Order: sequence, then C-alpha cells, then structure tokens
Amino acid sequence: MIPFVARVTVRYKRLDFRIWIPLALVWLLLLPVVLILSPLFLIACAAGRVSPLRVLSVCWDILANTKGSQIEVASAGTSFSTYVF
Amino acid sequence: MNENRIQILEMLAAGKITAGEAERLIAALDKQPQAAGDSPKSKPKYLRVVVRSEEGHNPNDPSVVNIRVPMQLLRAGVKLASLIPAQARDHVNCAMREQGMPFDLSQIKPENLEELVDQLDELTVDVSQKYSNVKVYCD
Repeated sequence: MIPFVARVTVRYKRLDFRIWIPLALVWLLLLPVVLILSPLFLIACAAGRVSPLRVLSVCWDILANTKGSQIEVASAGTSFSTYVF
Repeated sequence: MNENRIQILEMLAAGKITAGEAERLIAALDKQPQAAGDSPKSKPKYLRVVVRSEEGHNPNDPSVVNIRVPMQLLRAGVKLASLIPAQARDHVNCAMREQGMPFDLSQIKPENLEELVDQLDELTVDVSQKYSNVKVYCD
C-alpha cells in the first residue's frame, strides 16, 4: 500500500516543531490533477513507445515502497527530519 | 543424550512405536539442528547513507545528513531502467561509451537488477577525511 502518513520534525534551538502530514488527503487532492494530466501522460507514453500500464505499475511500486524512508539533516543546533509511514 | 531422544527410546521400549518409526524420528531430530543452522541470515531492509562533517562548525556539534532508503524502493527504482525509451537508451549508451564504459542498457534484464540490489546487502562504503566522513551501508 502507498504511505498514508508522513512526519516532519524541525528543531531549532528551543523550538521543537513536529507535524504529521496525512498523505491520504494529499493523494486525494492530487487525484484530479492526475486525471487532468492523464491525456498528456498517454501521449508521452505513445511517443516513447512505452506501455502506460507498465509506467503506472512502476510508479505505483515506487510510491508504495517509500514507506520507511527517512531523511535527517542536522547542523549547528538545527535539525530537520522527515519520516514516511 | 537429549530429552527427545530419550523419549523416543522410551516409546520404543514401551512398544508404542516400532524400531523403524524410532529410527525415522531420531533421523528427523538429527536434521533439526542442521536446518536451524541453514536458516538464511535476515536480509537488510534499508540502505543508509550517513554524512558527517565537522568543517566550519563546532566539532562537538557536527553537521549530519542521515538518509534511510528502503531496499524495496531501490528494487522499484531500478525497474525504471526498463522504461527508458529505445531512442533515449541509444543516447545513454553513446554517452557511456564516450566516457569509456562500453555498456548496453538493453542488455540489462529485470533479474540482473534484482541480483544487483541483492548484492547491495554486503555493501559498506566508508570514506573518511580530516573533517568529514561518508558511510553507506545496509541495515
């Protein structure tokens, strides 16, 4: 399954800011954009002679496997981290 | 002699099982530790890239970049190679040849890519300089 929640944490001196992003909502909001762009996607696939189903399957795989990804950057008392659940 | 073996011999002595059955049970017991020894070592789930730099900062508070990528994401990512259109593949092959790497992308099969990602399990890259250190490993 695709990830549904992401956590972003920012620490700056005494400020500790943590936000949980409901990705499910983001995916729902992006759905109309995807539908609008789908003709372009199909044209691009036809031009590249690539099966759109294959492209969709690979994209879905990539999206689904982002679960567990983590990025942390810390420098001089400031840190930023994201975690995809 | 372990407990299970004694139990089998007792069952044989009590006539609950035949000699043949006892032999089979003991043989099965002998196989058990081997099977446990053969169990594959747990595969790493993540590829981790850690960069530490103390340059220009307090050595007690170094800059750190820590990235954890699921191996499954790598597996999915390498499948992208199969989506490269033929024309683009020729360009890539050409560019690689110019750089001294005569490599044909069309020769790469999904199973090769799987193998490649599997081999990353053993990968550890550790580059250290005076003020910085880069480490890539699987965990």
